[in-house]
Amino acid sequence: MNFKHSLKTATTGLTTNKSRSFLTILGIVIGITAIIMVMSLGNGAQNLILAQIQGLGSRSIAIVPGRQINGPSDVAASFYNNSLKSRDLEALQKKINVPTLANATPILTTSETGFYKDQTYRLTLYGMSPEAQEIFDVTTEQGNFFTAEDVRGLAKVAVIGSKTKTELFGDADPIGKRIKIKNHTFVVVGVIGEKGQSAFINFDQSVAIPYSTMQQFILGIKYFNRIIAQADDSKNIDRTVNDIAATLRANHNITDTEKDDFTIETQVDLADRITVITDAFTFFLLAVAAISLIVGGVGIMNIMLVSVTERTREIGLRKAIGAKDKDIMFQFLLEAVTLTGVGGVIGIFLGSLFSYIISILIVRFSGLAWQFSFPYSAAIIGIVVSASIGLIFGLYPARQASKKSPMEALRYE
Amino acid sequence: MNVIETKNLTKVYHDGKTETVALKDASFSIKKGEFVAIMGPSGSGKSTLLHVLGLLDIPSSGSYIFDGRDIGSFSQDELADIRNEKIGFVFQAFNLLPRTTVLENVKLPLVYSKVPESEWDSIARKAVESVGLGARMGHEPSELSGGEKQRVAIARALVNNPQIIFADEPTGNLDSKSGKNVMQIIQKLNEEQGKTVILITHETSTAEHAERVIHLMDGAIDSDKRVENRLTPDDEYLK
Repeated sequence: MNFKHSLKTATTGLTTNKSRSFLTILGIVIGITAIIMVMSLGNGAQNLILAQIQGLGSRSIAIVPGRQINGPSDVAASFYNNSLKSRDLEALQKKINVPTLANATPILTTSETGFYKDQTYRLTLYGMSPEAQEIFDVTTEQGNFFTAEDVRGLAKVAVIGSKTKTELFGDADPIGKRIKIKNHTFVVVGVIGEKGQSAFINFDQSVAIPYSTMQQFILGIKYFNRIIAQADDSKNIDRTVNDIAATLRANHNITDTEKDDFTIETQVDLADRITVITDAFTFFLLAVAAISLIVGGVGIMNIMLVSVTERTREIGLRKAIGAKDKDIMFQFLLEAVTLTGVGGVIGIFLGSLFSYIISILIVRFSGLAWQFSFPYSAAIIGIVVSASIGLIFGLYPARQASKKSPMEALRYE
Repeated sequence: MNVIETKNLTKVYHDGKTETVALKDASFSIKKGEFVAIMGPSGSGKSTLLHVLGLLDIPSSGSYIFDGRDIGSFSQDELADIRNEKIGFVFQAFNLLPRTTVLENVKLPLVYSKVPESEWDSIARKAVESVGLGARMGHEPSELSGGEKQRVAIARALVNNPQIIFADEPTGNLDSKSGKNVMQIIQKLNEEQGKTVILITHETSTAEHAERVIHLMDGAIDSDKRVENRLTPDDEYLK
């Protein structure tokens, strides 16, 4: 029996009972739609997060206090959050220690309210050094960034983000104006142009002040929340990381690398970790979608069994005029695969359409730089999975059909 | 030359604990080109005999030589091939595929044959024309009368140019006029094309088209004799 004719027979069989065929494949359509959406939206979310991380630059290295938790015994170590201090920064900045280091800035963060006249604004206050301009690629739109001199002198100067500016000053020129944060008065020396969210720092809604000022007057601490360093070339990342680790160990008198009281993260590490998390989440959702496919497959099997019984006479006739068991088996298998394959194609179309609509809505209502991408891999998986379901769940009914005796089949009324 | 030779052909059905002997020690032979009617009351084993002779069912015991070959040694697939190449079936209930055109219905045996697809169309068209339904080629069975349906079934039985035609009560579902017309076609196939015809019927008038009648009673052959006043296709009563 040739393939072309079998396919024609299969499609005739399915189109004669359109509404039943449609209801039968609905489960498959829903399952494949869900899979496409999960994979497409999962991809979109992952790309969005990765793009933000990469916004920090591939040369960036984050040094955070405490040890990465790898087991119960490390939980205590994670509390050593005061291990990074000024002398560490100074040691790192010495060429002899880390020759490939281009820039480094400590980072201190807190949430504060800024006051200007009768205006208030809840902002994120960052303490950093002027090197942050290089590292985060920020430029001042008005005025200038504070200087190393300001850091040394614990100067009460502030560089404000674009949103902070409009919230506190409206259209007025903020340079030279005084804002109040935690009962200290800061002179605005610069305004950073609109930048958007970049690697966990949103300059737009922030105020940046010298880190020393922040330690002394705002937080009253001697340590840093983290240090962000930058290698002179992305090729030198590994070397820079090793030199930083060695320098910090020497500074902290650590001989056993297992007992490090700091953690160094590169953008690559961070991206990998985010990928693992989003992949796990996507996988979990896919597992849920897969259940609907199994349910759909059982529906296919059920309907195919009914169809085999209904068409007992046809099977008998075909056998009487020369069809072999394998011909009948192939005919019914092809019918099941065609059924689920069509369901898969509809599912891929609907899944892509919904993902596209959702991506448009995300862009419109959240302003995120979300990008829709047609999930080619998901589409291929969708086709393969739906056809396989037809094959798996069609096998039993097709076998039942092929085992019918031609005589029994002709007698069936 | 005998196309069918049976010896002590027996078929026993098992249904749970009960055992039914549907065919008992049937021994006979049918020559190539012969037109044989098998008669008998219902339950006499006619259908069982036809199923066994038509290779749709396997005898419980006894031997069956079909076209010079002992069918006892054949696999299911080989039997399917023989059914496809050498046998044509005409059933009481027509057994046409619904929602499938006359032409496609007639083509069906070719689908399972070794005939290349490029020839299917012309062979099937010829077969449909040979039963006088050339104008109905694209119609579906639901648009045809009973007699026309049975003629389509005959065309389907002929399409693979078989040696032997098994007709199981071919006029059973037809009015007498279409029944006679169908019998006329079958008889012509026998006389003009030399096809062996084995006809199952319980109507004496239908059996009179055959040259020989085998009577069955309780699964056994009761009588096997020549038909004396045989009807010819051109007989007056047919008109």
